[in-house]
Amino acid sequence: MASKTSPTGKSTAGKTGQTDVADAMPLRYGDDPYVWACWLYYEEGRTQHDIAEIMGISRATVNSYLADARSRGIVNISLEPSRLSSLAIAQELKRHFGLLDCLVVPSDDGSRTLIDRLGTAGGQAVAKLLKSGDTLAVAWGRTVLAIAGNTAVTGLQDVTIVQATGGTRASFAYTPELCASAMAEATGAKLINIAAPAIVSNAEVQSAFLREPLIEEQFAALGRANKALFGVSSLRPNSTIHTSGFFESVSIQHYLAKNAVGVVAGRFIDPQGRAVAGPLDERTIGISLDMLQKIGMRIAVAGGFDKVPAILAALRGGFINVLITDAATGRGILNADGVTEVDQRLAQRTRGEGPLPLPSNVRTHIKKFLNNPDQVVDEMLEGVLKAHADYITPIKGSNRALVARKGPRAGKVGLVIGGGTGHEPCFLGYVGKGLADAVAVGNIFSSPPPGPILECARAASGGQGVLFVYGNYAGDVMNFEMAAEMAQEEDIPVRTVLTTDDIASSPVEDRDGRRGVAGNFFMFKIAGAACDRGLALSECEAVTRKANDRTFTIGVALEPCSLPQTRRHNFEIGPDDIEIGMGIHGERGVVRDRMMSADQITDRIIDRIFGEMNAQPGDRVAVLVNSFGATPLMELYILFRRVEQRLSAKNITIAANWIGHYCTSLDMVGASISILHLDQELSDLLLYPCDSAALRIN
Amino acid sequence: MAESASRFLSRMFQLIAMAMQAEKDHLSELDGAVGDADHGITMALGFAAVNSAVAKLDLDKAFPSEVLSAAASAFLDAVGASTGPLYATAFRKAAQVLKQDESLSPAGQVAIVEAIAQGIKDRGKGQRGDKTMLDAWIPAMEAAVAARERGAEPDEMWRDIVAAGETGANSTRSMVAARGRAARLGERSLGHVDPGAASAVIILRAMRDTFS
Repeated sequence: MASKTSPTGKSTAGKTGQTDVADAMPLRYGDDPYVWACWLYYEEGRTQHDIAEIMGISRATVNSYLADARSRGIVNISLEPSRLSSLAIAQELKRHFGLLDCLVVPSDDGSRTLIDRLGTAGGQAVAKLLKSGDTLAVAWGRTVLAIAGNTAVTGLQDVTIVQATGGTRASFAYTPELCASAMAEATGAKLINIAAPAIVSNAEVQSAFLREPLIEEQFAALGRANKALFGVSSLRPNSTIHTSGFFESVSIQHYLAKNAVGVVAGRFIDPQGRAVAGPLDERTIGISLDMLQKIGMRIAVAGGFDKVPAILAALRGGFINVLITDAATGRGILNADGVTEVDQRLAQRTRGEGPLPLPSNVRTHIKKFLNNPDQVVDEMLEGVLKAHADYITPIKGSNRALVARKGPRAGKVGLVIGGGTGHEPCFLGYVGKGLADAVAVGNIFSSPPPGPILECARAASGGQGVLFVYGNYAGDVMNFEMAAEMAQEEDIPVRTVLTTDDIASSPVEDRDGRRGVAGNFFMFKIAGAACDRGLALSECEAVTRKANDRTFTIGVALEPCSLPQTRRHNFEIGPDDIEIGMGIHGERGVVRDRMMSADQITDRIIDRIFGEMNAQPGDRVAVLVNSFGATPLMELYILFRRVEQRLSAKNITIAANWIGHYCTSLDMVGASISILHLDQELSDLLLYPCDSAALRIN
Repeated sequence: MAESASRFLSRMFQLIAMAMQAEKDHLSELDGAVGDADHGITMALGFAAVNSAVAKLDLDKAFPSEVLSAAASAFLDAVGASTGPLYATAFRKAAQVLKQDESLSPAGQVAIVEAIAQGIKDRGKGQRGDKTMLDAWIPAMEAAVAARERGAEPDEMWRDIVAAGETGANSTRSMVAARGRAARLGERSLGHVDPGAASAVIILRAMRDTFS
């Protein structure tokens, strides 16, 4: 063992001059006692006392070896990255906004909700900040109630909790009364409620209430508060302010029109944190912004990126001097205020050193097969129409609206698909018998205008109506909607299914807001089969909708794509980074992560999909492993291998699979995995025969 | 008035097209931060198409409303995407307003700005604070209306309109996108000026240079 003396007993007379140590040192440490000490300390977990014994030196020498090893770079101590970044963000927020203190909880680990994590952090902060003799004003909201639920403070004396606003009806759980009383209970404090409604019908009622001796007394207590605890609400449609109905009688539009961005303790503020005057001022009973500002310690607990503008406004207005938030929100606040130092510092930390100087022969342009960059779409279409003349032909001579040669027929619902180019073989590869009847072709990554879409609807119509199926993007929706209106005017009934299979693009509560990506492949196949089988328009729509609801996709990009016009990357992905939740337009993904192995990436994706797909053992699925353009089949098969392992471990059967280029994003390096959770009807339609340029099933 | 008014609009679209061409890379760069990096290309393409459509009109005979209608159709057919329907609806709405009064009096200029903002709002179903081109157009419209109400001179009016649009566009930096592709980026859209708001300012500046 390491403690044995070297059998040779020969002195190597190392640079350190510590010949006695070198004598005892096992060969593998060379002549460096620092490395030996570090090995024993960090890898074997021994105490400095043990190490001194093993190495035959004094404990003080061990101590100095360990200290020097850090400065010599033999040992690098690093904090776990997510903790490091929350600490760095907290420090930067504290510095930038001159806060008393700031606590940032690490970003989502997926296991607990944000409100819950903020509640725990808030509870810890209250336990640390609340002292005997304090008067704490407590506002209301989901977050405040979560804090009360996570607070347990004992041993304080003479603490008073004052409700910061009047009360509300109990149409929601986190009323002002409940928030204040829960906090009083959690801290063993005396409770003072405000015995008036938060909002009264008019100014007379307000002044009458405020003149009441009881209310006056309660307000006096509020005026004595030396600490305040509150949340910050945004004015976004799903915020507390809307869902609670707190301001039900008043149009929030009034405040929005005056540029209000947030609400603090029931008061509206603008982006600079100034009060926004409005009709509620003379009807509100509660702490005013002036009163709040006079309180010594003002603790705000708020997170969620939709709240960034509101929190920033509250910080600028000086309403907050202790902020508790999460890492993503904190970084968002800093970015929104133009502070990017923290990003740079974290980037440097993770990369080890600063960016390398570019060599003089660095490439700035991506090589592409081009003639005229402005003509790429038209030239491609000329090639496509020659190559696939058996399947598709232009409508009225325009290559931007193509119809299937063996598609439309009388009595059949017509299927029209379409979108921007750059996704080949999407969308025009899926036009043919048993698939789409017509496709409208836009510019690169841009929706086609209504004109060609309308031509497609006309060409596809067989008298039984037309189904539009396309990805959920603002541009496509507007153009297809305009075309649908025009078609209806010509008595062509149109139904629409927006594809929303990208589960990374928005949380499950906002399913309708998700975008459509490679899962389009499945929706086109199902819709095409339904139409070809002669189902009615409403039935075709229903089954396509079902396929969309049961299709789950996540994409990962390793390198960005480049547009033919610019021949530059749309943005950069760092040498050790990947983008998870990548769309198909070269837009950034949802989160950036470090590069990992193929199996780890697949597991990340599959875990997310399993989280939403309610599949039981014995169920059947179809799998699509799709290249974004530049990723070769070899790697796609590696991904598929792991997908299959994960599915079979759950005893889920892969009834069909496709691996290759099905919905690309120019030359992006990356791939997406789509899973369609089958039932009998979807199985039948999926395997129903079809024949098009990109897909044939016999 | 009809002839010279139509020539004014034709001149306006030329200025917009030139500015879009000049700012193409800058706009695409802004878009690269939050979208698919093609906004500059799209806007340059769209206004080039508008120019060639307007060039086909007989400006001595065409009414200003006809110029705007032609611009709407040309822009839509050339662009598609999301800016296509938005500006097409905006110009079409402006054309409808101009039919009431084909002179391009200061009041008529205000009406155009109002109609553009309203058209974009209607088609995109958006509002202020969504981090879109509306964050430039709505303040610009408000400044235009305020200038009309106090009877400001055209020069002063356009100075106010452009300043309001610029401030509005810059304010998108601290907004989280609620619409369009950038909406999927969540907090990562922060810190970046919305490219649609930036190109709206380019249009406003070209309008100012035409009318004042």
